[in-house]
Amino acid sequence: MFHWLEKNPFFFAVGVFLVIAFAGLVTILPNFAESARPLKGLKPYTVLELAGKNVYMKDQCIACHSQLIRPFKAETDRYGQYSLSGEYAYDRPFLWGSKRTGPDLHRVGNYRTTDWHENHMWEPTSVVPGSIMPAYKHQFTNIADIATAYAEAVTVKNVFKTPYGNDIQPGVKAFEAYKPKVLAEAKKIAADMKNKDVKDAVAAGKIPEIVALIAYLNRLK
Amino acid sequence: MNALVIKALAFAGVLIVATLVVIKQMNIDLSDPVNMITFIGAVAIAVLAFGVSAKYIAQMKTDTASGELAEENWDGIGEYKNELPGGWAYSFLGTMIWGMWYFTLGYPVNSFSQIGQWNEEVKAYNAKFEATNKNADAATLQQMGESIFLVQCAPCHGTTGDGLSGKAHDFVDGRISKKQVLAVIKNGSNQLGYQMGAMPPMMAQGKDAEDIAAYVAGGMKGEQPAAFAACASCHGADGKGMNGMAANIADYDENLITHVIKNGKKGAIGTMPAFHDRMTPVQIKALATYIKSLKGE
Repeated sequence: MFHWLEKNPFFFAVGVFLVIAFAGLVTILPNFAESARPLKGLKPYTVLELAGKNVYMKDQCIACHSQLIRPFKAETDRYGQYSLSGEYAYDRPFLWGSKRTGPDLHRVGNYRTTDWHENHMWEPTSVVPGSIMPAYKHQFTNIADIATAYAEAVTVKNVFKTPYGNDIQPGVKAFEAYKPKVLAEAKKIAADMKNKDVKDAVAAGKIPEIVALIAYLNRLK
Repeated sequence: MNALVIKALAFAGVLIVATLVVIKQMNIDLSDPVNMITFIGAVAIAVLAFGVSAKYIAQMKTDTASGELAEENWDGIGEYKNELPGGWAYSFLGTMIWGMWYFTLGYPVNSFSQIGQWNEEVKAYNAKFEATNKNADAATLQQMGESIFLVQCAPCHGTTGDGLSGKAHDFVDGRISKKQVLAVIKNGSNQLGYQMGAMPPMMAQGKDAEDIAAYVAGGMKGEQPAAFAACASCHGADGKGMNGMAANIADYDENLITHVIKNGKKGAIGTMPAFHDRMTPVQIKALATYIKSLKGE
């Protein structure tokens, strides 16, 4: 039989594939199926948080910040509890990052607050004297794209059965009906902020990117 | 022994001499078992590498192959149907048996857990930390407190503890500012989890509140305003919080720092998150020692 396989490279390749595929299935699949499920009690991102996540991606925070705390004492002392894979179940895509020019942000919501983020994004060196992070002042004037975030929520609800409530439905009408909820969430954050332009914009029904981003960062716990 | 083997062993000898020179140059201590084992390993590699290759090169020069040829050949290159040499076959079988033992009994595939390793490491470290620092002296606490402050507190309170010009509580300029006292009097407080319970809003109003705020912010010096009686019933006449029943408004103490670290606080300036599971009691004590030392006169 082995001489036969040696003479028939095609079937030899099929045999190799079967062996490796089987090994892969039994080692990868059971663990994957278990750890890819959302943690008990994990809530999907709200629409405002999703908009903030999009700002995070757009401004490439991931280039310098990771979102994955490894189970080493040095890391858990500084950043908090190590990360579990089930925590990323609603992250599409996940933002683990691969480089820490700045600190890890996976639990930044536990030890930083709205007003700190506001000071820091406006002028990082005002709170962290040695910081090399650039200022992100444009986030205070740019308006966050809530419609896209809403569409994303609708999509993941339909495609991946992400447990959003019944009020997230396709269509412009449903979006218009949902908008006040997003605004109410934004108002809560703006109430803790000091920047007048941001407060005015939120009062006028517009949500600057910084508000969405802070909602997202506060959510990272 | 032919010329090839002699040459190879000579080469190995040169390598061993080179290794010895390095050991001499770098003053490596061979009485350390790890160094000794490494040295023996280096010698073994030199002798085996050259000895074995010399043997096989010599064999290739003289050997002839024999046996029945297999049917198939590749561009004229054929294959003998010889049996596998016994030594190879037995060692192959041996590795299979060893492999089964290794994966099931020796070092089972599911026996390692990164989280388990983390648990053990942290537990061992914490036990050691508590044992070393149970009765730490003031200087140790001060130093420990400073390093904790610089990591955990400085991002908001500033490296000097001055609150970064109003962005967070100022530890240098007295205990609390007038603005903060007024805000607490106006809103009450039920955040720090003191035994005395919630502080109701509007305990004093108007001029009384102003007087109290000026007195407390001024470091509780001079004549006590009459309205302070409303505060004294919980915080004590000296403002020290009646041995930890209520917040110490006169000074920083370990009790106050512990309550704020544990519960966080939303006050006149902004919100401070809780840091409850990020510090051990010893670390909080150290932090309190350091924060007390920040207060300028």
